[in-house]
Amino acid sequence: MTNYGLVIDQERCIGCHACAISCKQENNVPMGQFWNRVLTEGGDKMDTPSGGYPTDGGNGSLDMQYQPTACQHCENAPCVKVCPVNATYTRDDGIVEIDYEKCIGCRYCMAACPYNARVFNWDEPEHMPEEGTGDVPARPQGVVEKCTFCSHRVDEGLDPACVVNCPADARIFGDLDDEASTVSKYINQYETHQLLEDRGTKPKTYYISGEMSPGRPQTSDKLESELDDVQVWSDGTDDVPADSGSGGSAGSSTGGIHSVDDDAVGDAVPHVPAVDAGGDD
Amino acid sequence: MSNPQQPRLTPLPEWEEEAEAMLDGVEYDTDLGVRMARDAIRVSNGELTDAEFHEKYHEQVMEEFGKDERPTKPEGFDDD
Repeated sequence: MTNYGLVIDQERCIGCHACAISCKQENNVPMGQFWNRVLTEGGDKMDTPSGGYPTDGGNGSLDMQYQPTACQHCENAPCVKVCPVNATYTRDDGIVEIDYEKCIGCRYCMAACPYNARVFNWDEPEHMPEEGTGDVPARPQGVVEKCTFCSHRVDEGLDPACVVNCPADARIFGDLDDEASTVSKYINQYETHQLLEDRGTKPKTYYISGEMSPGRPQTSDKLESELDDVQVWSDGTDDVPADSGSGGSAGSSTGGIHSVDDDAVGDAVPHVPAVDAGGDD
Repeated sequence: MSNPQQPRLTPLPEWEEEAEAMLDGVEYDTDLGVRMARDAIRVSNGELTDAEFHEKYHEQVMEEFGKDERPTKPEGFDDD
């Protein structure tokens, strides 16, 4: 059975917020709200580091990393258990979704979500432009909203908008139950962690840190099954070969669930050694 | 609660304060929401079963919402 999940490579994430913006655009998310956020680990405000500059020739303590967050589509989701009207539910493919017709705005799900992944429409949703954006209808006032893994795109065999529009190729989406899928290969290959693992929610978003995964060329709108013969890397490094496919450049909005071959992952040269991944100097 | 810079992954001791803030102004029972949210996380943790959770709050949910359609309802559970 299909069980969708996401891998985010935090060594690749450059904190550009393209995921957050493309999510807003694709899902018609109202002004003032985000389903997809890039938090800054470090200082108190966005894009501010903790620590200080090097002084007197010594090592400084500056440190700043990005923590992209959104709905984790938990397998054991407290939000689903607590919803009194069954408006929040888990689809057969593992995506946690909200039936906005059923939602009564009690916000119990928001309180139960350890990831603060949900937002509530306090006011009449405001869109720019007024007619809205993307391929998802506006939600009515008074309901809770959140990331859907772009289920409307997934239903058509496409990656979520945040995955397709990540210029750093830091996001990989696919079927966790398929050992041959790209997400499964990355999870097996790299050391990953999930947020708040101790809560027992079994989130289906995995984070790679300490070792950068190889980049993947955008491969147009082909389905995963059509990509079996695609050779993503030719030389075992994480550089995208010049003849790597039709999509080519990062930032393409053409989508497609990516394929990766085992050797390429295994031989990849990390750009950031695990020991120095914190960026302390 | 839609501030994109709001730090989440909040330490548990501070969570209840945030949960109460989220539920502030809701027309439904805030206290019930906080208690149910706390126990829903306990269910995910395996400290409480679905059935125990459902039974613990069934009457209060019925009283507050007029229905109880939580997926935690055990087989054969008597709604009355």
